[in-house]
Amino acid sequence: MAFPSRKAAVVGVYLTEQGRGLPRTAWSLELEAIKGALDDAGLRPDQVDGLIPMAYVTPLNLHMAWTEQLGGKPITYLDVGSGAGAVAKAAAAIDAGLCKVCVIYFGNANNGNGPGAQKRHDKAPRVDDWDYMVHGAYMSVWYAMWTRAYMHQFNVRQEDLAEYSVIARYHATLNPASIMGKRGEITVDDVMNSRPIADPLHLLECPLDNDGGYAIVVAAEDIARDCKKKPIWVLGGAEATYTDSYRTITSPWISNEGAAVRRVGEMAFENSGITHDEIDVAGLYDCFPVTVARDLEELGFCKLGEGADYIKAGHLRLGGKMPSNTDGGLLSHSHNGNPSGMHTIEVVKQLRGECGERQVPDAKIGLTLAQGWAVHGLAGVAIMAAD
Amino acid sequence: MSEPYLRPLPAKSPGTEPFWEAAAEHRLVIPKCNNCGDWNWIPYPGCRTCLSEDQVWTPASGYGTLMTWSIVSRGPPGFPSPYVTALVELDERPRSIVMLGNIVDTPHEDLKVGMRMQVVFEDIADEDISIWRFKAA
Ligand SMILES: [Zn+2]
Repeated sequence: MAFPSRKAAVVGVYLTEQGRGLPRTAWSLELEAIKGALDDAGLRPDQVDGLIPMAYVTPLNLHMAWTEQLGGKPITYLDVGSGAGAVAKAAAAIDAGLCKVCVIYFGNANNGNGPGAQKRHDKAPRVDDWDYMVHGAYMSVWYAMWTRAYMHQFNVRQEDLAEYSVIARYHATLNPASIMGKRGEITVDDVMNSRPIADPLHLLECPLDNDGGYAIVVAAEDIARDCKKKPIWVLGGAEATYTDSYRTITSPWISNEGAAVRRVGEMAFENSGITHDEIDVAGLYDCFPVTVARDLEELGFCKLGEGADYIKAGHLRLGGKMPSNTDGGLLSHSHNGNPSGMHTIEVVKQLRGECGERQVPDAKIGLTLAQGWAVHGLAGVAIMAAD
Repeated sequence: MSEPYLRPLPAKSPGTEPFWEAAAEHRLVIPKCNNCGDWNWIPYPGCRTCLSEDQVWTPASGYGTLMTWSIVSRGPPGFPSPYVTALVELDERPRSIVMLGNIVDTPHEDLKVGMRMQVVFEDIADEDISIWRFKAA
């Protein structure tokens, strides 16, 4: 059975303020985002019948609490996952008649991922036996180890990976809502001379760690045609995991076969019928520069070990072959805890032509990749298009 | 008097007692499948290769090679600055055992991908647990 191309569309997106220490609760940010995204679409809360929260852990009673919050009408499609993968699954569920209007949402307040957000204890806290925090392996440490392994395996210079930080900051300067844009552009030297965090990574190679919320509304074809904004059709996509969450690592860590990202990339290109050359704009998960290099390789935009060259060639920069993360991404726009839907929101805005100074001219087809939970351990891809 | 140890420590959850009892004696044991002979790390209820629940805590060599590491300057509260977190691939096969842990007693400038490492144990002061670490073999 084929993926239901153009049977559902992203009809609403919304970002709350993104920033550090917002005087809000996660729930309040999520509610603002859901109302905002429904308003963007011109839909009412009582039309929602599908919910995909992006919470770190997603028990069914969370779906049920939000069912109550949204007025108590039966919600007929309940799912979990990552932003881009959730868009693809919502489209498939809509085509199967399981729901008509599905909301993907997340909010985070005062609950960061980084070392600065960890509590001080008077006594050593007890955690799961195999928890990575026993060994101080918070996210930047994992990606530092991945960066070192990658540079060693493919003889890649760190300065070449750092070009990604420079591109992301440039894009952020064109995005008034970004956290770092107002600080201005940076150079590779600025990146390499910024404060060491987890060697080999410096501060400007690490993502932000801020608060914020977002929501994405996916609706059935007939509803989408009557929404306020032009529909951004879901052409294809997929989602996959391949390992436990930051507790198990395969050897080799980086292989030709790839893993979750390679698999969803192959599935999404196949089920959308789109080719790599047709992608006008992309949102590639970018928690660290090495992540983007590996995204490009596993998605098949370049060969294994050539991701840094692709970045250095300027293909991701506005004006390049495939402008990506035009909002400034996770390094310079916002990393709000689980930003797996952020890339999709920016690509939807690009395909609508709403991006002002950072607009990619004539952007018609976009791809987004969400990734995480174990260094490419959970991945989702959505391929979308304007009419 | 030394500073109290304030980093997160394993809970010693039910079923893991043999691992922590061996660790207290500075011995590394890893679940090995009685059905197919494969090693399984981290411990899971079933063998990843054959799904058998017949797994036995079995002494492992404690030797392996350094896959990658990070010298961490900006750690969470309770961690020294800097500390070194690493992935070490043990010699046991066929299924590869990649362990996460901290490197101790090894000069940072000596660290190289592929270098020989060994598992050692640190008895945590005023706590009932010993944690595995790595050092140059
Ligand atoms: Zn077995």
